[in-house]
Amino acid sequence: MISFTRREKNWVPYLLFLPVLIYLSGFIGYPLVKTLQLIFSSEEGKLGLENFITLTRDSTFWKALKNTLLFLITIVPLQVILAFLLALFVNSRFKGYMTVLYIISIPLALSDVSAALMSYNIFTSHGFLNKFLMSLGIIETPIYFFGLGLRSRAFWVIVLTELWRATPLVFVILLASLQMISKDYFEAADVFGFSSWQKFFYITLPLTMPSLQSALLIRTLFAFQIFGVVWLLSGRDIPILAGEVYYQQAELNNFRLAATYGFIIALICIIISWVYITFLKTKHLEI
Amino acid sequence: MLKKFIVILVLGLLLSSATYAGEALNFTSTQMVPAAEQTFAKGVLLKGFTDESGVTAEFIPMEYHELFTRLSAEVEAKKVTISLVCDLHGGLDLMSAKGLFDDLTGITLPNRTFIKALEDYSVIAGKKVYVPWMQATYVMVVNKKAFDYLPAGLTVEDITGASEKWSYDALLSWSKNLNDAFKGPKLGFPMGPKGLWHRFLHGYIYPSYTGYQAAKFDSIYALALWKYLGDLLPYMHPSSSVWEAMDEPLLKEEILIAWDHTARVKNAVVEKPGDFAIVPVPRGPKGRGYITVAVGLSIPVGAPQKDDAIKLIDYLTRPEVQVKILENVGFFPTTKEAGGVIPEGPLNVLATGVLAQSGAADSVMVLIPSLGAKGGEFGATYRDTFTKIVIEGADIGATVTEAAEKLKKLFDEVGVSLL
Repeated sequence: MISFTRREKNWVPYLLFLPVLIYLSGFIGYPLVKTLQLIFSSEEGKLGLENFITLTRDSTFWKALKNTLLFLITIVPLQVILAFLLALFVNSRFKGYMTVLYIISIPLALSDVSAALMSYNIFTSHGFLNKFLMSLGIIETPIYFFGLGLRSRAFWVIVLTELWRATPLVFVILLASLQMISKDYFEAADVFGFSSWQKFFYITLPLTMPSLQSALLIRTLFAFQIFGVVWLLSGRDIPILAGEVYYQQAELNNFRLAATYGFIIALICIIISWVYITFLKTKHLEI
Repeated sequence: MLKKFIVILVLGLLLSSATYAGEALNFTSTQMVPAAEQTFAKGVLLKGFTDESGVTAEFIPMEYHELFTRLSAEVEAKKVTISLVCDLHGGLDLMSAKGLFDDLTGITLPNRTFIKALEDYSVIAGKKVYVPWMQATYVMVVNKKAFDYLPAGLTVEDITGASEKWSYDALLSWSKNLNDAFKGPKLGFPMGPKGLWHRFLHGYIYPSYTGYQAAKFDSIYALALWKYLGDLLPYMHPSSSVWEAMDEPLLKEEILIAWDHTARVKNAVVEKPGDFAIVPVPRGPKGRGYITVAVGLSIPVGAPQKDDAIKLIDYLTRPEVQVKILENVGFFPTTKEAGGVIPEGPLNVLATGVLAQSGAADSVMVLIPSLGAKGGEFGATYRDTFTKIVIEGADIGATVTEAAEKLKKLFDEVGVSLL
């Protein structure tokens, strides 16, 4: 057994911590500092808020912010409700529930690009849906679900694709939480004559609140990263914040504005996380 | 004895390498740099020249800045080792402005008729800077089924022969006919984020309507252009906004007429050569605007083996050699004679269209402006203007005035005059 002197004991923990510190400083700290430098400096090298001024004067920024928030407030609540319903359904453990569980979980294995390509092949004018509807004689000519001047339709196709692709993540978290609730609570509730609704509101919902909070947090943060699906199904027709980061960096070579977009995304995520953590703090942490 | 042997050996090696260095013709190129293309250039292209002429030619691929630095230093020191240079028009123009190239006026290449627009571009400030060697461009692809719905008065020959009747207005009428016949739009453009839609706007329709890519961006002619695009919108396939290359939509017959870079429609033509025709783009009030990526051959001032370099130019511009280049690296010929020797098949379909477009009497050939890192912003300005005016219905006058100022600022920043 290795024994340390009192003096050694003081610096050994720091020595053990050093490799991680070097790694984090090199691969996270340094790029972060350089990014901050980019954000707060102009092309001429002057320090200031010039990039923020440029950004807020560009109408695309406001459109991107609006669209990102619209996707957020549409997709996240729908996903949470849908995932909760599916989790309750699977948790009832009917015959064959495991098969249903697997089917619901399939999209977890898909990347956003794969999901978007599948969606494209379903909804495009020559896609499966149009062909199916035409073969049944329901429509004569294809329906255009997305494309030039069809932003609102494209919006809903993107929402649908995101619901299908990302709901399983929330579902898995909520199902795990439901499975951890002790049956004793429900047996006690039966003794007191609780209705199904009362059991849900007074037992299930409070006890799943910590998981719900995590699921909401993860989904909200992911919603700010939404990119592949929007990019493939609408291009820049529906500008979004993450898409503009890519566009500024890869297409326009404007690293400053790309970094500023990224900074704004991070800022919004921090604020939303703080709101969730503060206002959704549960009083029933024991399960 | 051993010492003597080593001395003789070293002297022999030096002598042979000096003789070899004296004979080898250095051909530097910024094109055909990828490994596979280098293999073709060295193993097929230059080997054929050496076999025929007995002159050893060394293919030296390099980046533009490297070539510029080396050639400038060699010319200044009057110790030029490069006999022949291959580069894009923009690069050759810049190097010529620094006095690095000979005037090639007077060089005769028998049985070769260079495309007039390319020939004209190769003469800069009264000096014949280069011999046009290869070209790449963007074209229109038509599914032959669409020819059954031509508007009254327009024939297939008008289109393939780039007659005056083949105009943007004719394209509008044709697209409307197709829309009515197929109960949906059949005209497509690569408007996806990685598509080349901005090239159509700045290099095709703008020169056709205004005579320039950017110089007359907010002129009265430009107003007509934007109104025209608004009229064309209902006949553009909505999925255009996500398409990045037009080969797939053409093969699936989602559209019957498309515009795109030759490399991005090649697959469709190769897969079904009988189904498609490559045709010149329509003309506008100022002519038939089109982009060409021109590649030329120049001889440096004080180049060694100048006669052999001319022999090499003669060899590289021969029709059969240009066809070989088309087959192997996809660059199109620059001589009319080459069109006649391309074997029947997909490449012939492609080359016929490209040559018809560049050979049109009313063509307004433009080159992509050399804006470096600002190139993305240049393209984005055109795309954004389209979105604002045509999709969102913004006021044409105000939008183009704002965009014109942005373009001017951009050209000023780079130090390039408005084209």
